[in-house]
Amino acid sequence: MIRRIFEAPSAPEQSRGLAREVVGFLGNHLSDTNILHDLDIMLTEACANVARHAYGGGEGRLEVRLALVPGESVDLEIVDWGRGFDGPVRFVNPEPEAEGGRGLFIISRLSDAVAVRSEGRENIVAIHKKIGKTSWKS
Amino acid sequence: MEKLTISHGKSALYFKYDGEVTLDVTPELKRRLEAELAGNEVAAVVLDLSGVGFMDSSGIGFLVSINTRMRSIGKACYLCRLSPKVRKTLGLVQLLSYFQVVENEEDVAALLS
Repeated sequence: MIRRIFEAPSAPEQSRGLAREVVGFLGNHLSDTNILHDLDIMLTEACANVARHAYGGGEGRLEVRLALVPGESVDLEIVDWGRGFDGPVRFVNPEPEAEGGRGLFIISRLSDAVAVRSEGRENIVAIHKKIGKTSWKS
Repeated sequence: MEKLTISHGKSALYFKYDGEVTLDVTPELKRRLEAELAGNEVAAVVLDLSGVGFMDSSGIGFLVSINTRMRSIGKACYLCRLSPKVRKTLGLVQLLSYFQVVENEEDVAALLS
């Protein structure tokens, strides 16, 4: 298993940059560009949620914890130390007219498992994606 | 925004952005498009998405907001030249049939004439 931790401030530009940095690292191990795009979207959505909601409009710490098992799977934990999740988290597709609220639904569609939890002061979105052997660089 | 192209046809406003449409650019894109719409009487907006290689839910929200704005005043919003990534993302959230997507290039040309 390979583990890495990436960190950035939670502002929109930096949070997108953080997602790109993680996907860049994953590109060293994965050859399937469609899967890399899926991972990019999931990371970007989770990091953008932190940028938008975690620190009440301000900036704070944003961390991505990556664990990959070559030939098998990628696990991502997107972590913040902000105000936490308001009430039950829903992974549903909102009405077409809604301008927001699709991030977690998109993550749930592209992953094999997604969970939201708080541990101490950490708020964590945990994503698991299985990736077949043919999608990895040899 | 050097990657932004805006032009005016007889009755439609053409709006094209080349790049990623994510949270760090959508507020500015919305501001620019709103400014164009405020200063011009157009029957429709045509959003060209051929140069968008990556779009997140913030980008989806941008498209929804423009669509809602135009419909609310009896005007139209068309999406055209969807890149494969944009098509996939809109498909994921089941919005491909919600938007008016112009698939035929002749129809795009007619809108912009």
